[in-house]
Amino acid sequence: MNAQLAPAAVDTTSPLSVAGLRHSYPDGEVLRGVDLALAPGSVLGLIGRNGAGKSTLIRAMLGLLEPAAGEARVFGQPALRMDDQAKARLAYVPQQPEALGWLTATQLLDYVGRFYPGWDARFAGKTLERWKIPPNKLLAKLSPGERQRVDLIRALASQPELLVLDEPAAALDPVARRELLREVALRAGESGTTVLFSTHIVSDLERIASDIAFLHEGKLLLHCAADDTKERFARLWLPAAMSAAAPAAALSRRRHEDGSLSLVVERDERGQWPEASRLTGARVDALGLEDLFVEVAE
Amino acid sequence: MDASLLTIQPASPEPIYRQIVEQLRRLIAGGQLAAGDLLPSVREVAAFHAINPMTVSRAYGMAESEGLLERLRGKGMAVAATTRPTQTQAQRLALLEPQLQALARHARELELPSDAVLRRLGRLLEP
Repeated sequence: MNAQLAPAAVDTTSPLSVAGLRHSYPDGEVLRGVDLALAPGSVLGLIGRNGAGKSTLIRAMLGLLEPAAGEARVFGQPALRMDDQAKARLAYVPQQPEALGWLTATQLLDYVGRFYPGWDARFAGKTLERWKIPPNKLLAKLSPGERQRVDLIRALASQPELLVLDEPAAALDPVARRELLREVALRAGESGTTVLFSTHIVSDLERIASDIAFLHEGKLLLHCAADDTKERFARLWLPAAMSAAAPAAALSRRRHEDGSLSLVVERDERGQWPEASRLTGARVDALGLEDLFVEVAE
Repeated sequence: MDASLLTIQPASPEPIYRQIVEQLRRLIAGGQLAAGDLLPSVREVAAFHAINPMTVSRAYGMAESEGLLERLRGKGMAVAATTRPTQTQAQRLALLEPQLQALARHARELELPSDAVLRRLGRLLEP
């Protein structure tokens, strides 16, 4: 395509990265300055409420929309001008599948399989059966869930180096969802596949994510190792009488009706919780990922 | 040992790697795992529980550095032969620390006097 690629930027080692990303739709700003880079082989869970801008961010990261400002890179290439080789190394499953409706699932997979050097036809056939896709029905006649499952099979069978899944969980029943998670986890751990996985169902991410990013109102509230979300942050509760002692630095701060305070706090560099946590009556509660997200996104 | 012996609770505030190490510690302390017993491979544990293999590696690595496990050449991880069957009392007590802290907290929240709690605990501990 373009022989004069821009010189390598800072993070060419990252299979997928964005810097200073901004984007607006007529009804307002969706992305308000996002910086994010995935390490090779990592599984990044992107969490956000409906409408937080997850799909817009993903589409901009992959060069499927031109952002108002900022830069997106895929395998070090500008996302908007990726060459065909780069495209063959990535697989993306959108929330709304755009399958070719006049083909059957079997025909589609046979067709697209020819474009991928690493196509795993055995996996495709086997998973089609396990995920109960009618193989000979036109895709246009499948339910949206079935079509998304076909898309997931297509993405996985191409054995991508970079796998991007936008809300894949909705289309799958619990057994198939577990299978998807297993597949994604093993590929990341063993083949070094880099994965970006967006969802508002956080329990899926707790199994497989190595890193977590919280997107809220167009900004990243938090981006850290998945284990850190549980070990580095906690909720500090202070009774009303002590609320004046609350630390100034907190990710979130909520005053309850009785005057008591809940804060999300972070350990300092020596691993200690803020001073106020040692007051009598103060309480520090460990938080699961979902609780942490609800606390900081509220 | 089979991967199904481990229980993983993804939504727990305790990270998965710690859940694995804690369970190994208890299984070994409780004698369900004996010195030399082989552990399931990282892949087996990750596949069975649909969790990230790196999390399992991290847990095994931590258990190895604590002396719970040892790497046998060509065979994978096994329960360390040198596991002190009789850990010191302090070490065994340290295993109870999280539960003791939780108990103390609940007792304070219920405004129970400590002697009442200790009396009850004492009775539970009697053989």
